[in-house]
Amino acid sequence: MKERTNKYLCPYCSTTFETFEDLKNHALAVHAGEPAPLPEGMIRLTLNGEKYQVQVQPEWTLNYLIHDKLGLTSPKMFCDRGACGSCTVIMNGRPILSCMALAIECDGNTVETAEGIADQEHPLVETYVKHHAMQCGYCTPGFITTAKALLDKNPDPAEAEIREALGGNLCRCGTYPQHPKAILEAAEILRDSEGGE
Amino acid sequence: MSVQKEYDRMIEMEDNLGFDKYPLKDFDQIGRTNVRRLDGKEKASGRAEYTMDIQLPGMLYLKFLTSPYPHAEIKHMDTRKAEALPGVRGILRYDDPDLPEVADLGGHGPTAEKPVPKVAYFEGEPVGVAVVADSEGIAEEALRLIQVEWEERPFLLDVEKALETDAPLAHPEIYPENNLEVEHAETHGDVEKGLSEADRVVEFKVTRRLHTYVSPERPCGVVRWNGDYPEFWLKHQRPHENKRAISSWFDHIPMNRVEMHMPYQGGTFGGWTQFPWNQGPMYCAALLSKKTGRPVKYAFERRGDFYGGSMDEGNYHFRVGFNHDGTITAVEAKAHLSNPMWEGFGPGNHFEDNTRIPNLYAPRKVIKVNKGPNTAVRCEQLPNTMSFTLVMDRVAAELGMDPIEVAIKNDGAKGHDMQWLTERKAEVGFTPRDSLKECLEKGKAAIDWGNKWHPPGTHKLPNGKMHGIGFTWTHEWDDSCGSGEIAMRLERNDGTVSILGMRCDNGVNAETGYCQIAANELGMRLEDVFYRPHTDTGFFPMCPDSSTNTGVNGWAVRHCARLLKAKILEAATSPRAVTQRGMYPPHFPDMKPENLDIKDSIIFVKVDPSQKLSVAELVGTSAEAGPLSFHELYGAERHPFSIPLFAHAYQAQIGCYKGFRPKFCRQTHFMEVEVDTETGEITVTRVVNVNDVGKVISPESCAGQQYGGTYMGVGRALFEEVVHDPATGVMLNGNLLDYKIATIEDCQDIDTHLVETQQGYGPYGATGIGEDIATVVPALLAPAVYNAIGEWIYEFPITPERVLKALGKIEGE
Amino acid sequence: MKTFAHFNASTIEEAVSLLRRYRGRASLIAGGTDILGKMKDRILPVYPEALINLKTVPELDGIKEVDGLLKLGPLAILEDIAHDAVIKAEYTALAEAARRTASPHLREMGTLGGNICQDIRCWYYRQPDNRFPCLRKGGGRCYALEGDNRYHSIFGGSVKEGCIAVHPGDTAPALIALDAKIKTSRRTIDVEDFFQVGVSKTTVLDDYEVVENIQVPRPPDNTKSTFLKFALRKSIDFPIVNCAAMVTKSNGTVKNARICLNAVYVKPYRALKAEAFINGKAIDEANAEKAGEAVVADAKPLQHNAYMVQVAKVLVKRAILSCKQSA
Repeated sequence: MKERTNKYLCPYCSTTFETFEDLKNHALAVHAGEPAPLPEGMIRLTLNGEKYQVQVQPEWTLNYLIHDKLGLTSPKMFCDRGACGSCTVIMNGRPILSCMALAIECDGNTVETAEGIADQEHPLVETYVKHHAMQCGYCTPGFITTAKALLDKNPDPAEAEIREALGGNLCRCGTYPQHPKAILEAAEILRDSEGGE
Repeated sequence: MSVQKEYDRMIEMEDNLGFDKYPLKDFDQIGRTNVRRLDGKEKASGRAEYTMDIQLPGMLYLKFLTSPYPHAEIKHMDTRKAEALPGVRGILRYDDPDLPEVADLGGHGPTAEKPVPKVAYFEGEPVGVAVVADSEGIAEEALRLIQVEWEERPFLLDVEKALETDAPLAHPEIYPENNLEVEHAETHGDVEKGLSEADRVVEFKVTRRLHTYVSPERPCGVVRWNGDYPEFWLKHQRPHENKRAISSWFDHIPMNRVEMHMPYQGGTFGGWTQFPWNQGPMYCAALLSKKTGRPVKYAFERRGDFYGGSMDEGNYHFRVGFNHDGTITAVEAKAHLSNPMWEGFGPGNHFEDNTRIPNLYAPRKVIKVNKGPNTAVRCEQLPNTMSFTLVMDRVAAELGMDPIEVAIKNDGAKGHDMQWLTERKAEVGFTPRDSLKECLEKGKAAIDWGNKWHPPGTHKLPNGKMHGIGFTWTHEWDDSCGSGEIAMRLERNDGTVSILGMRCDNGVNAETGYCQIAANELGMRLEDVFYRPHTDTGFFPMCPDSSTNTGVNGWAVRHCARLLKAKILEAATSPRAVTQRGMYPPHFPDMKPENLDIKDSIIFVKVDPSQKLSVAELVGTSAEAGPLSFHELYGAERHPFSIPLFAHAYQAQIGCYKGFRPKFCRQTHFMEVEVDTETGEITVTRVVNVNDVGKVISPESCAGQQYGGTYMGVGRALFEEVVHDPATGVMLNGNLLDYKIATIEDCQDIDTHLVETQQGYGPYGATGIGEDIATVVPALLAPAVYNAIGEWIYEFPITPERVLKALGKIEGE
Repeated sequence: MKTFAHFNASTIEEAVSLLRRYRGRASLIAGGTDILGKMKDRILPVYPEALINLKTVPELDGIKEVDGLLKLGPLAILEDIAHDAVIKAEYTALAEAARRTASPHLREMGTLGGNICQDIRCWYYRQPDNRFPCLRKGGGRCYALEGDNRYHSIFGGSVKEGCIAVHPGDTAPALIALDAKIKTSRRTIDVEDFFQVGVSKTTVLDDYEVVENIQVPRPPDNTKSTFLKFALRKSIDFPIVNCAAMVTKSNGTVKNARICLNAVYVKPYRALKAEAFINGKAIDEANAEKAGEAVVADAKPLQHNAYMVQVAKVLVKRAILSCKQSA
């Protein structure tokens, strides 16, 4: 027997129904009063504190959306296979690789990039400049986002914890020794400013 | 200042093969710590723009076909399906009638290459066809729809097989006879005699496997046509060469109509610019942009970046004669190099540059195989540093001597001893200092050499691993070879200084350094000086941010600042403004320029500093009557104006590559390792870098080259290897997971030290540092591991497998 | 990437029904770090027509211990497992395996289910554009056998297929050492029986089967577990060899040991001979050494991977020794 594949899909909750009438009854009973569901491929994103509603294609990575479509240059494409950390953004508090995340799966998420971290005058940006924790600069935004996510979670990290947290960020210029210095100093500034408030 | 005087000064600048005859009295900006990087905020915030970030309205994306075979010719190609794919806007085939037979694709001098070849000499070579489409995805799909009939040819991966008499030809169109491109040798004295007279002779062989750059930003570019003229965004280190080539592609379009931009560059590390084949796609992009009337961007795949390798790949065979006291009498170093560009380099030069060894014979065979071309990856000196380290340390080991003693015993240059070297230092004008000894003192103290060095294989640590310590040394390079020009102008209204020169930023913080030199020379506050990253101003510095920043461009900035300062002081003592009715009196009416000086952007009278005027006040506020007009108290005058303050300078040196200048600055490096003799794992626990850079411009930037180079060097020594499948010639690890560069956790402490003997040929006695450390450190792992386990491992990278073989834990090949 | 249809599943049942609808031409996506790499490189002859997102199924990322059973949702994030206080204390091998997997970023994205279901990393198999249509893709031969096999199996190929690509997981041997079970949408099986080599397959899951949770019994008293990993780099890399062990002691000798190597064979390799040797014996250097030797006695290294035999032997030894303290 040929399996029937066409069913009526609830646009709110994706439950399937055999008949349109069933779907209609379900929608009225369960979803009455809810705002209309988003069209397929439309996602909502909070990016650096601002709300976005964007139509995406299934194959778009989060990196492509942020970098190529929304024009934020900080998530950098280095390896394009999840092995270098240059495209790191902070999503819902986690440092993740935007080249290996599908934009369509980020609906409702909160994303932070290096631009957003700089705009909130996070001390990391200045300590990175001060300690020369950059050379060519291509991988730097990925370090900044990784470091910010670490400090959000752990305001007083030990140097060994910092090195472990940065284990996925490749820097071909070899600026590595400067990052723990910059991050420790930023952590101290943050703790001082919070203690003073 | 008279024109004649300016001219005289320029002539003097060309006579720059000696020392810096006019050093500064006070270094208040040069050598300072805590100078804020000019590029810092932009880079840390992610807003710094790179070529990969460029997007233009209506931009198309170019993708090119790459060869799936290491050696193959296209017999037939059907592109009809690709042409029919919606979104495809242009296709350029190898047999397009518009294509010239050859084009100048050079970045290392003009070359004549096929821009779209039909024969591939290595797997992954761009070949046959380029496609432009609305998106990268469509361009990729189009390439998949192209049907190619290939004629596969026999191929070679191994240099020794390539030399066999019945070997197939790797590049028959270019080298129809055999696979030996050329053979060169550095030589002096009589090696056979030196070997026969030596107390002892040691012979050993070394292999360096292929490794590569890993440029974070892939090779890429963007082109757009504005009317009849093209505009480019490039990731390259020698923009002046691109301009020449680009012009020639379009019937020698006037050079002044080719517009170029050089955004920030994600780590180029040298010779990508030197590969003609990688510029074929740029050529295709330019042509297809013209044909389609749309901007075109091209970018290599990440994998594509791996096909340009390092020119030390190959096999080396050494015979070394030495006496019981550690003096080396003869070195024979034979190299079989795989695919190096520009006829290869080494392996004997550093014996010439650093030692009194009387007999040297260092021939190299340059051999063609079917892998990508190899060139300077951070530096072409890799074969030299490796040979030098392994020979010196092997001699010490054979004698049971401290390798530092062997270094001191053999220090010299061009077969001559230290006395000769001291005379040469004095001859060019330096105050002679013993650079090696100064570097050794700092390094030995930092690593605690006296307590840590021990006989090989004797120090087991509490954690069960074997401790090893290694030492190497060589001279400091790259000392101001090349040429470049820059200009400087005072901004009207606020008197700030703009340095004008084309950007080519790879991250060594050179632009900040130029500002430090200019501020120091001019007497301006550092914050009043800025390197204006003009797109094509016509002022091309020498590789402005790779090698020879200080060595060449530092000179040019220094010259230019001095010219500009003279002009400022001239202006301060000359009529202040000129109008239709006459002139306004000078700011310093009864003074001559030599009575004045500038400090903190304030012009003052030397004998009475209370008489002063800011540079901003000198240039004055501009007004409605054009940029040179004054708007101020001389209200009765209709159009007072003053002359603009602008200077231009250059630096041009010849001959430095030819090796006739002895090099006087030295560097020493020390490495501690722990070797797990059960698994073969090596942990690099501490590295000490000591570099005599002659004169420090930016201490943090120098340190950045030291620890940064150390990380690259440690990765090269431990892991880095491009692997090809022996059966198919396909590169197996063209990605960042399988080709391993060091992470932050792969090297522990790095301790950096600088020495300043002011014996470099750069301004203030400076010399280069950027190429050195990543080039010296890799071979240093071998003596460190030898000291740990008492066995020499002469196959790089030194992997756990090779350690276990050396220890006899597993069978050797 | 080439386009595909995309579905956010609300329930496992919905995911299964979508898999059925696509008849083997759809793939599940959780963390995405494995499948997106495969799709970007187009390594397989067939490109998925649809991806079915499991991240939208509620509560699949749970980590909780109930009645002496650690229940992990298939979407439990590796970084969370690595830093969970209970897992670190009681299920040490698993926490450590999660902590040593890939890089911090990949652990923040990667899931336990994804990690045990991941595909092989053989560099012939992974070549872009299906350059080597090997046995695991339904092709006729293994290219690694006579090629560069420095990271391949030291215990021979899968009998049926002749493939020598190793299983690359870090958490798999830990779960086997800890004697975990896997509940799927249609059955519950021992984790040891979960792995199976086939064309485009690394597990026994059929085309319409989804992992619902992973269950790890709390190790008995006097038990210690450990995980050791050998790779070229200290971060990012897949293992060249790894080893997990769980050892229960009684009166100074080993009462029960479960030891599992991975990345040395086409499936996780249970070190049964080492277990048999060490059971009933005291944990000391000599016994641990012999246990290691017992495991590799059967090794059949290839041209380029003899060093892995030595490393496997040493890791087994060290894993046993590290279970000595406080157990």
